[in-house]
Amino acid sequence: MGNAIVLKNVTKTFGGTVAVHNLDLVVPEGALYGVIGPNGAGKTTTIRLILSILFADSGELTILGKRSALEAKDRIGYLPEERGLYKKMRLGDYLAYIARLKGVDGPDLKRRVRGLLDRVDLGSAETLKCEELSKGMQQKAQFAASIIHHPDLLILDEPFSGLDPVNQRLLRDLVLEEHNRGATVLFSTHIMVHAEQLCDHVVMIHKGEKVLDETIGGIRAQFDPRSVLFEAMDPQADVSLLETVRGVLAVKPEGPAWDIALAEGSDPAAVMRAIVAEVAPARIELRRPTLEDVFVAIVDGTTPVAGDERTRLRASLREGSHITEVRR
Amino acid sequence: MKKILCVAKREFLATVTTKAFIIGMFLTPAMIGVFLLIFPRMVDRTPPKVVGEIAIVDGSGQVAEGLRDYLRPERYVQRREEQSREAADAAPEAVKSIVAQSPEAQAAMQRQVAAALGEVPQLTVVALDSGIDLEDAKTPLKIQVSRGEAGRLALVIVHPDAVQRAPGKDQFGSYELFVRSKLDDRIESDIRNGLREAIVEARVRNSGMKRDEIDALTTVQRPRSRTVTAEGERTTNQMFNQLLPAAFIMLLLISSLTSSQSLLTSTIEEKSSRVVEVLLSAVSPLELMAGKILGQMAVGFVVLALYGSLGILALFSFAMFGLLDPVLIVFLLIFFVLASLTFAALMAAIGSAVSEIREAQGLLTPVMLVLMAPIMFWMPISREPNSAMAVALSFVPGVGNFVTLLRMASNSPPPAWQVGLSILICAAGAAAAVWAASKVFRIGLLMFGKPPTFGTLIRWIRMS
Repeated sequence: MGNAIVLKNVTKTFGGTVAVHNLDLVVPEGALYGVIGPNGAGKTTTIRLILSILFADSGELTILGKRSALEAKDRIGYLPEERGLYKKMRLGDYLAYIARLKGVDGPDLKRRVRGLLDRVDLGSAETLKCEELSKGMQQKAQFAASIIHHPDLLILDEPFSGLDPVNQRLLRDLVLEEHNRGATVLFSTHIMVHAEQLCDHVVMIHKGEKVLDETIGGIRAQFDPRSVLFEAMDPQADVSLLETVRGVLAVKPEGPAWDIALAEGSDPAAVMRAIVAEVAPARIELRRPTLEDVFVAIVDGTTPVAGDERTRLRASLREGSHITEVRR
Repeated sequence: MKKILCVAKREFLATVTTKAFIIGMFLTPAMIGVFLLIFPRMVDRTPPKVVGEIAIVDGSGQVAEGLRDYLRPERYVQRREEQSREAADAAPEAVKSIVAQSPEAQAAMQRQVAAALGEVPQLTVVALDSGIDLEDAKTPLKIQVSRGEAGRLALVIVHPDAVQRAPGKDQFGSYELFVRSKLDDRIESDIRNGLREAIVEARVRNSGMKRDEIDALTTVQRPRSRTVTAEGERTTNQMFNQLLPAAFIMLLLISSLTSSQSLLTSTIEEKSSRVVEVLLSAVSPLELMAGKILGQMAVGFVVLALYGSLGILALFSFAMFGLLDPVLIVFLLIFFVLASLTFAALMAAIGSAVSEIREAQGLLTPVMLVLMAPIMFWMPISREPNSAMAVALSFVPGVGNFVTLLRMASNSPPPAWQVGLSILICAAGAAAAVWAASKVFRIGLLMFGKPPTFGTLIRWIRMS
């Protein structure tokens, strides 16, 4: 299987601002990749470079085997971050128009439009003008426009922004359907939870540079925090006793709970059994690294981040995540 | 190319199917129709029925009878018949032949003339005694009378030496005329003409000469000129010659303006509604711009074709189509393509650079000035189609489209080399406008925030 996207040493500047710097990226065909990073990291510029909406100052791009996306536009579906519809156009006509621009035409087009509208639960809205649609309906229509031509490569820029939980779930299912159909999916988000829930592979961008390019499994292995979150049944229980348990390195309070660090080489399952034997738990769980933690850790490691900036960074990575309950 | 045509088709349909466009398209001809057909009917051109007396104090003793004769109803009818004949003679040959062949047309024409002239006035000339007090004679003029009611309309005092020179004087005397307020100017004119006729008649009689002979000596017929062209001769129609350049310029201006303004608003709409990025993922900026320009040029062509057809229909209905040189229509189409391409490209560039229509105002001013230039220079160029200014403006890209067509439609068309050079320069101008617009369009479509200045646009052109 080949690669759907290959970027080599790609750089793009706007005046004196470097938006993307020496970016290397390889997305295999059929993969589901997430490009993550805070607002202003360079995600949208990277996507626009991939789509040849913008052109790189230097570096090489290969998109679906072509030197430019312009040669493969009909095989690419794109949902931009800032998206809209022709207000006065009827929804069915709009989708047919986009399909024609993507090279799909002929007697089956109407049937294809109708089928897709049914699939995104907009079958009854075909003859409505786009301005008559609710915001959620408009967002579904926009996604439908990006997949009307059954693209080989689907690029979604912040696809979940502004969606309510129900529509987030619907959109996630539609993205996965496209992925299961065989389309390569690349989407960007600044909400780490979304990437965790959908992606096989994550590329992190910070200040125009790639700081991580790894599978979700690889990230978990690489950034395993080796700690246990513990909350005692009896709030008065002496949890500090747990420091004596074999395999426990340190016990630190964390709100109403405790963070128990595990010693290098210890077996987490055995240690957790020993902890439970010592103090009756209300809650005990092995901590998993979140992309947010990983991102902040990486940024911490590469460039010194002041306390306030770290807080702001975490806030931008979490923004909107509280309304997300989807699980893959 | 298929994608360009797809964009063009949507652009065309999205514009011509809007209510605003349809209303606008039919409103203008409807307003012209109202102006030409209904408005004249609403204006009562028929002179009011006039009944009254004209008092005359004839110091010469030889004028009153002549005036009385002139103002007799029978003489009125006679004069009107002469006017009808003169009007029929002045009509274009084509109209005359239609009228000659159709008794209905003749009757209709006579009805029109009779309606225009109104009912024959019933005027009585009353001679007053020469010793009458002038103020007493004026008093009846001050008495208000209702319409159609007899009363004194005017008082004429003819000087004693009006017919016979006073001893030792070179000049004849004249007359004084006093009229009541709001006297119809046509009646006053009739009184003056009657007095002139009566006095001249009396003077000629006294001099022992024959009036007919004098009239024959002093009358020179004024025949209508004939325009001589390579294709033959035809009767010159001054009004047609004056209106034709204006009609061509208006056609070109309205069609170019409609297409370029629609392009501006549709580009801004696509940008502000963020549809543009979806489009750019399917077509290149150049394809998008080309499709939009093509679509809006088609819109402009619809406007041109509709209004042009109405004009041609009007010429046919007045049997004046033969006066129009068909080559002008070909050049109208050529200049339409060049003008609409130039202005549509500029409007596309401006539309892509801004996010709201109000932000476009500053950038639009120079474009609108170029578009309005033909209107500003219309009169001087029409009067002097080959003046230095007219020739120079023919070679200015953008403006040249209008000026050359204006000159071609005038009485003194420019030489062929000037037309050819103007087309070449305007075509080069259109190509440059499309080239620059494509550069601005590519960058501007994805730029949001502070609206750019001209300096920024030039930097974008250099950057691309």
